[in-house]
Amino acid sequence: MDREAFLARVGEYHKEGRRLALINVTTLVPAAAPAHGAKPEAAATEASVGETAAPDQFEITWVFENDKDATLEKIREQVGPADIIPSISEFFGAAFLYENEIHELFGLNVEGINLDLQGQLYKTATKVPFSHAAVKARLEALAAKTAAAAEAKATTEAKA
Amino acid sequence: MKRTIIPFGPQHPVLPEPLVLDLILEDERVVDAVPTIGYIHRGLEMMVERVEYTEMGFVAERICGICSFMHGMGYCVSLEAIMNVEVPERARWLRIIWAEISRVQSHLLWLGLGADAFGFENLFMHCWRMREEILDIFEKTTGGRIIHSVNRIGGVKRDVSDAELAAIVVKLEELGKAFEKTANVFGKDPSIRHRLSGVGVLSADDARAVDAVGPMARASGVVMDTRLSGTYGYDQVDFEPVTETAGDCLARVVVRMREVQQSIGLVRQAVEKMPKGEGMPLENKPRGNPVGETYTRLEQPRGEVLYYVKANGTKNLERFRARTPTFANIPAMIKLVRGCDLADVPNIILTIDPCISCTER
Amino acid sequence: MANPLRLPMVPRALRNLVSRPATRRYPYEIRPRFEGARGTIEFDVETCNYCMLCMRRCPAAAITVVREDRIWSIEHLTCIGCNVCVEVCNKNSLSMAKESKPVHTHAEVGPQGQRPGHEEWHGPDPAIAAAAKAAAAAT
Repeated sequence: MDREAFLARVGEYHKEGRRLALINVTTLVPAAAPAHGAKPEAAATEASVGETAAPDQFEITWVFENDKDATLEKIREQVGPADIIPSISEFFGAAFLYENEIHELFGLNVEGINLDLQGQLYKTATKVPFSHAAVKARLEALAAKTAAAAEAKATTEAKA
Repeated sequence: MKRTIIPFGPQHPVLPEPLVLDLILEDERVVDAVPTIGYIHRGLEMMVERVEYTEMGFVAERICGICSFMHGMGYCVSLEAIMNVEVPERARWLRIIWAEISRVQSHLLWLGLGADAFGFENLFMHCWRMREEILDIFEKTTGGRIIHSVNRIGGVKRDVSDAELAAIVVKLEELGKAFEKTANVFGKDPSIRHRLSGVGVLSADDARAVDAVGPMARASGVVMDTRLSGTYGYDQVDFEPVTETAGDCLARVVVRMREVQQSIGLVRQAVEKMPKGEGMPLENKPRGNPVGETYTRLEQPRGEVLYYVKANGTKNLERFRARTPTFANIPAMIKLVRGCDLADVPNIILTIDPCISCTER
Repeated sequence: MANPLRLPMVPRALRNLVSRPATRRYPYEIRPRFEGARGTIEFDVETCNYCMLCMRRCPAAAITVVREDRIWSIEHLTCIGCNVCVEVCNKNSLSMAKESKPVHTHAEVGPQGQRPGHEEWHGPDPAIAAAAKAAAAAT
């Protein structure tokens, strides 16, 4: 991502008097596991909604809101797990909570948070629960469980 | 001066919720506070991986036990926006009615907790006695006191007869009159004024700078109310957002007190304006799987909530994110705690109406 | 020191001394639940056709149906009382009782009752049911 242009744009929104409404991260997992009941045509539409799914990417959206006309402005970026994300907490004081959350739940590195909680915000059983490895492991476990259940059913049916 | 660190919470007499603040003190004065949450992180957002989108509404409803109706409604409104489902008119009005009643319920609960925090237990009991009558209304109309489960994608599941709605309005107005006497205590009692007036002042500029939402922002004179944008049928009722200018703890109490009366008025208006009759359509069933993304904003009792839903055409959503009002108000709380006396910390924390279950999801 | 007569809570507090309590004496006096309240799921083994719709739609995965063996079972401790199974049942075999039973008695509810909250119903064997139907049709 273009750091200078990004910060300039955030600064502009700040000057306009917008509020920071949300910083959201989505873990982009290329293809949904078949256990999710994905139909072939759904896979085609997915490409139009989602992005060209490069391996192991995160999608970050900064959402800024205007109280007066209730409009939302969004900045959307795709980053890899190793990329460093500039903090916007110098403009928006409330950003530190979102940025700490991004660091703890998604494993992304945010640079220059004004209140860095050093991984103390959440206490989760899985470290970095939304990293690609963790998400894939969960989806695979789910698919394996569904497959095992289907197989068990097939064997009982075959016996009957 | 020597600094002392006092851990505040997760178990604290005034806090119903497990919030931890490490208070850094110089003498009796707090100079900094470091928040830690995470004691009740349940990973509800992760559940979209294995819970189908039709069932996720029930999970969303369980984010919080106090704004449960609004969470269920917010999820359904998001999915309706993605799937282009038109909600029948009566169902939309019923949602407004239930949402406003749940606002009354939430504020009464909070006013009681607030009274308990500054040591006025008699007042606490009276607020909760009134809240119990609201919960009875919920049990009669939705079938549940706390978890209502009436919202479905495309409408609501239960109808409330016109006679019953009229009875609810009568009951709420009686309650409003009784509440006025209680509100008088909050506004006039010298011990309460002494305890709350001028404590934890958040100026309007500061409220904007830390992006405070809901009653917290309105008590500082910032006019911000998501209902003003007129979505989900709020354009058809008349109301003025409740604002105060003082920005202290007392102003936040007064804002919530006035909002109780405002919500009762909104329920009356909604009952007058909604289409009458038996057996009207309440639900338009969605077809297929959702594709697309949306941002939904609602005004919850505690402030603005924002839902982000991204669907990729399968039964499972790709991402469901709820930015709850407390999440947005925590920076304001930390700002207020810096520089106050240790004895005022419980009141300041309580007046933002913290809901850590919402914040962590 | 404020004048106690001018404290706005004093009249209310004095009235509290002589008025009846707002609460009920709970274990001795129980308020019946309102009509339409959601309590426990009740199952009618006579009408069920084991279509498995309730099992598929249950958000909590509390219901298990085995069509071949005519078994319908529910875990009451997993059930969230959302009413979805009652809504989707097209034989009206399921209904929502307004009272919810105390948890520990669930073990005694079903014919088997192996574990708390587990309720299991066995429908008539399909072959026997078909024979009975045929016999009824013949007479």
